[in-house]
Amino acid sequence: MGEKIKIGPFHPELEESVYFKLVADEEGIVKEVEIVNGFIHRGMESLVTNKNFMQNLILTERVCSLCSNNHPFTFVLAVEKISNIKVPLRAEALRVIADEVKRVASNLFNLSMLSHLTHSHELMKDTLEAREYMQDLKESIWGNRMDMSVNLFTGVKYDLDDKKIDFILNKLSIVEPKIKELQSRYENDETIRERCIGVGILPKDKALELGVTGPVAKGSGINRDVRVKAPYSLYAIRPELQPYIKHRDGCDVLSRAMARFDDVIEAIRIIKDVVSDMPEGKTYLEKRPHIPKGESVVRTEAPRGELIYYLKTDGTQKPVRMRWKVPTYTNWEALKVMILGDKVENVTMILNSIDPCISCTER
Amino acid sequence: MSTSKIIKSFKETLVDNCSIKEDCDSYGNVSAWIKLESKDSMSSVANIVKSFKGRCIVATAYKNSDDSHTIVYHFDIDGTIFNVEMNTNDNMFFSITPTIPSANWAEREIREMYGVEPMGHPDTDRLFLDYSIAKGVLNEYIPLSKLQRGVSETDIMWKKVKKDIDNG
Repeated sequence: MGEKIKIGPFHPELEESVYFKLVADEEGIVKEVEIVNGFIHRGMESLVTNKNFMQNLILTERVCSLCSNNHPFTFVLAVEKISNIKVPLRAEALRVIADEVKRVASNLFNLSMLSHLTHSHELMKDTLEAREYMQDLKESIWGNRMDMSVNLFTGVKYDLDDKKIDFILNKLSIVEPKIKELQSRYENDETIRERCIGVGILPKDKALELGVTGPVAKGSGINRDVRVKAPYSLYAIRPELQPYIKHRDGCDVLSRAMARFDDVIEAIRIIKDVVSDMPEGKTYLEKRPHIPKGESVVRTEAPRGELIYYLKTDGTQKPVRMRWKVPTYTNWEALKVMILGDKVENVTMILNSIDPCISCTER
Repeated sequence: MSTSKIIKSFKETLVDNCSIKEDCDSYGNVSAWIKLESKDSMSSVANIVKSFKGRCIVATAYKNSDDSHTIVYHFDIDGTIFNVEMNTNDNMFFSITPTIPSANWAEREIREMYGVEPMGHPDTDRLFLDYSIAKGVLNEYIPLSKLQRGVSETDIMWKKVKKDIDNG
């Protein structure tokens, strides 16, 4: 009989509420793992059917804060598909800029949590400092550090003039070398290497079987990036913007962290490319859309991976059914594979490596 | 891998037991909508998806006016989405998780939200909701304090809301 260990649901090393019930042997190796969910379930899928489309645009931005832009972005794409709306090219560009800024900030937050868990506080401080440039950018351009309120059903709510574009490019010119330096430090830091290499292994065949996405899939050598596999918005119109996916096949915590750095560096390249060649024109269509009876499935690439929205409408102002699936929904099940056979002391580190978003997952 | 080759495989296996329509968004992404005549054909669908190394992204359920349920599986095969729809009027369907493990959570969520049982599912545990809450919760009013585990043991606020609902 092994030792029973419980972690959570509230614990200083847990980003959000999760409850682990583990059984470990004398050497601290996890032999059994049970994960209990349901601490942040809010019944949002029921709530959205009681609200109109405009109210749901506001509500979807509040599913979660780190990927708050992706929810309304994907929701408007689903509505626009049913309504057969094609938004102006400038709006597509502005949507992609906002999305990539969020990607940089979200991934840097997760990476700083990794250094926090390894007690590399200098590294954590520097990572959060680099992220702060993106937070400043969000606050200056969109007026808020988390919820940017970018999307409309026919376009976007904001625009960029030359002054703002210069401001963005200036911030990126500061943050880009910092991130490249940070990636090298994470890759070579002795403590990080000791705590992350060979930890939380998710073999490629298991990753394929469980359907994991985002940096978790990339860390096991699988590319399921929606921007590449099923490009949407400006990624489809200008294929050169699609991210270059580096092959990471360590299948461990470090591989997943490096995949996040790759995503951040590509996101900065995409933002620079888009703002340097902004299409002219309107930022939204003035005619209010009619949302007819229909059904659509749309997906985008959130910082943690694939986000999919299913929408069913009946011609009224409220959806009949709205369903969304976030990356953590499938990445979560992979935790059992990663944790089994690893040390108890690595459990919170492994959890952090999937960048769990429980409020998204439980809705 | 071409979408038409996969659709051909669906047509050959399911013969007349389904209707298939293709869809393309304004960015050129093709997807397919397959409607099954019988829910029993879902196991054949799962085998086709597995043979093409596809995965289940998620599954959606909703209740119809005649109390039956519609379940739509969303599969990804090499970047193309295949939406496969079926109906059940006896609150059960056959789980595809043993064939496609990525369907695990989606089927468990349907079980607890709509009370529709995925027969043969390897995991009988609740996914998000506490055991004190009956299955099929998405069709009922449930207090948030009960819905979330460990938030509160009291019903004071809910009793007030329930009284208002009961009084119309």
